[in-house]
Amino acid sequence: MSLIRQVWLLLSVTLVLAFAGAIGVSVHSARHYLQTQLDLKNNDTAQSLALTLGQLKGEPAALDVARELAISSQFDTGYYERIRLVGSNGKTLVEKQADPHPLNAPGWFVALLGLAPADGVAQVSDGWHQIGRLEVRSQSAFADDELWASTLHTVGLLAALLAIAGLFSTVGVNRIRVPLLRTVDQAKAITERRFVTVDEPDMPELRNVTRAMNAMVGRVKAMFDEQAGQVELLRRQAHCDPLTGLSNRAHFLGRMKVMLDAEDGAAGGALVMVRLVELQSLNRTLGRSATDRLLQDAAAAMIESSRRFGSSEVGRLNGSDFALALPDVDSLRESAVDVGARLRSLMRVHEGGAHVVVGAVRWVHGAPVSSLLAAADQALARAESRGPWTVESDDAAGESTALGEDAWRQRIQAALAARNAQLVDFPLVSRTGELVHHESPLRLRLGEEGALVSAAQWLPMARRAQLTADVDLLAIELALQATEGDAKPRSVNVSPSSLSDSAFSTRVHALVVAHPDAARKLSLELAEAGAVKQLHLVRELAEQLHGSGTKIGLEHAGERLGETRGLLEAGLDFVKLDASLLQGLAADEARMQHVAGTVRMLHGIGLRVYAEGVTDVADATALWSVGVDGLTGPVLQASRSA
Amino acid sequence: MNYFRWIAGCGPAGAWRVVAWARAALLRLLAVAAMLAFSVHALDTDRIVKSAQKYGPTGVANAKALQQMMLALGGKDDTARLKAVNDFYNQRLAYVEDIDNWGQVDYWASPLESLGKAAGDCEDYAIGKYFTLTSLGVPHSKLRMVYVRASIAGAPNGFVAHMVLAYYATPDAEPLVLDNLQPVIRPAAERPDLAPVFSFNAEGLWQGVGSIRANGDPLTRLSKWREVLMRARQDGFQ
Repeated sequence: MSLIRQVWLLLSVTLVLAFAGAIGVSVHSARHYLQTQLDLKNNDTAQSLALTLGQLKGEPAALDVARELAISSQFDTGYYERIRLVGSNGKTLVEKQADPHPLNAPGWFVALLGLAPADGVAQVSDGWHQIGRLEVRSQSAFADDELWASTLHTVGLLAALLAIAGLFSTVGVNRIRVPLLRTVDQAKAITERRFVTVDEPDMPELRNVTRAMNAMVGRVKAMFDEQAGQVELLRRQAHCDPLTGLSNRAHFLGRMKVMLDAEDGAAGGALVMVRLVELQSLNRTLGRSATDRLLQDAAAAMIESSRRFGSSEVGRLNGSDFALALPDVDSLRESAVDVGARLRSLMRVHEGGAHVVVGAVRWVHGAPVSSLLAAADQALARAESRGPWTVESDDAAGESTALGEDAWRQRIQAALAARNAQLVDFPLVSRTGELVHHESPLRLRLGEEGALVSAAQWLPMARRAQLTADVDLLAIELALQATEGDAKPRSVNVSPSSLSDSAFSTRVHALVVAHPDAARKLSLELAEAGAVKQLHLVRELAEQLHGSGTKIGLEHAGERLGETRGLLEAGLDFVKLDASLLQGLAADEARMQHVAGTVRMLHGIGLRVYAEGVTDVADATALWSVGVDGLTGPVLQASRSA
Repeated sequence: MNYFRWIAGCGPAGAWRVVAWARAALLRLLAVAAMLAFSVHALDTDRIVKSAQKYGPTGVANAKALQQMMLALGGKDDTARLKAVNDFYNQRLAYVEDIDNWGQVDYWASPLESLGKAAGDCEDYAIGKYFTLTSLGVPHSKLRMVYVRASIAGAPNGFVAHMVLAYYATPDAEPLVLDNLQPVIRPAAERPDLAPVFSFNAEGLWQGVGSIRANGDPLTRLSKWREVLMRARQDGFQ
């Protein structure tokens, strides 16, 4: 039984006992008092009347009348039920009897607590001669009524007092409960990996508990900060160009590959290559440090330009070549020109003969990275041949968004309405080869006869049409149904934009409640890039689903894990590391260090860590060695077929 | 002589004063029981002697004498019992006013208390005789404590308020009077000096007394008669 309930029970029992006891004592003492008074009255009257009768003098006949008159005069006051004079031979000499008064008190009360006063008895004698025994019985109905009325009064008064006591108890218990629940909530939050601090309550006992937990949370946070700092350092060493902070070549290519291959990646985009020509001469004229500063400014300008698009990636491929991978680009030319213009205005500020050329190509989801790079290189070469500040864009791929936005919206809505959709299962296994869960991305059949297509084809449009919440809910529902069928745990992608839909978490909760068993085997994963921007919404979703057993995690994670302490309070269950961080892990000590540090940090706050898109057996071995809890990717098919 | 003195004790008083005295005493008595059952009790004189220890050596000596007398009366008829008991108390107790004996204007002493002091006033004689007789097996219904107005030569107004014990062989019989003023038992007719005012006994009361704690029932504490009943019973009288 909960502490608060025990307190209530204790209070209730105490109050009810006190109530019953007070009534019992009060009624008993009132009853005893009335009974005593009646006994006294009966006795007193008997004595006085017996004395009076003994003092009467006269002829025997006159005496009889005088005695009867004396008894009558006493009896006729009306206070008596019976007055009787019994002769010494046992014969009744005089008897006066009245009906008992009608009662106001109910019968059961009189039967239970009614008064039974003893008759008052006195000896009557005339001189030395015994006349007999006088018995006096008073009316007792009025006393029963009095007792009943006083009992009612007592019950009423005590009930009022009980109500007031109950009111005070409620206030008192609430004063205990509010801080207690807050402390308990904090403890629960900590077990759910939400490391939150709360205000210390006024109650000394709870204050000590809260203080200890706050201190513990503080230590966890400090430890996390320290590790996050190290991880960030390792990440930069492994993936970044030391001068500009942009992705290095290997990492950029990895990110590019993920972008092109990911089930839920963008349908298409632009690859913009930038070359700083005559960097060598610049170095000679301006000196090393000025050149470095120029490179840093150029990098900042490119990042600024790329920010206009979603999860873009900017990398430095070699000394003078840069690349921007921009997803969901409408106008290839415009995006290329924007980069060129920014750099041109920047270079004007710096003296020297250096200039910039830009080559841009369009890419579509699923294209191979190598051919894309080759095409971009060609565009860049053409631009360079045409002279400084040239921007060359090769829009041969054409507009992938040939259909209008409305048409897309209708097709997606139709597919959702008809539930023309299917989940595809990709296993994620633990080190021992057991299934952790299936990654189950949703595929939609757009159009009556069309094939099932992956999210890359329609997700950007769904996002624009603000349909991601409906898409995600369908995916969750299908996953729950599938899990009810085969009892296999499943993990479903949730778009960060769905979280902004105020009804989303409520609708997810409703689905989860409708499938309580399957819900325990359901995981929801959110892309890191979108989730960290709105961790408070992730936290709300986690709180909403708390208790259902549904897990929540981040996918495509790793780039920004070190930046956010919000991770400590979001109540996540797992983190999936992005494939781009893991490629070539076995052969690259710096990447290895970074991944190992990340795993250590996440394990430190109780999260499970999985690896995405692992292709290489050596990488898989390396990942197991740094302690990841599970992995997924082509390597599983390879090892299975091997 | 103050008002309380003659109200309470056995002092001389006018006729109306006797009535008033009786009435006042009655109001303090408050209760006399009905003529219900009487019971025959086993005689337990050892307990009486044991109880007497708390009243000092005089009490023990008198209690032992009482025990001897009571044992000697086993199987004797009422006449013999009456004479023996009447003589015993009349000889053993010296007449002393309550105020001198007990420091109270009116104190109803139990038989052993009186024997412990070897002194008492009129009601103490009557009380002692009453309980001794009932302990010997004389039924309560045959005994009455009687308030009487006694005419005494030389007393102021010629009268004193007094108490005697009356014995009725049958309800209608003329009673025998056990008195300490005239130590010989006489029928009531031969006592013209005594004018009875009111009588009472322990019928009905006696049964309930044993179960009442010394200070439990407020009625018992109010009533002198009930209180002395209780003390007598605790001392072993029956």
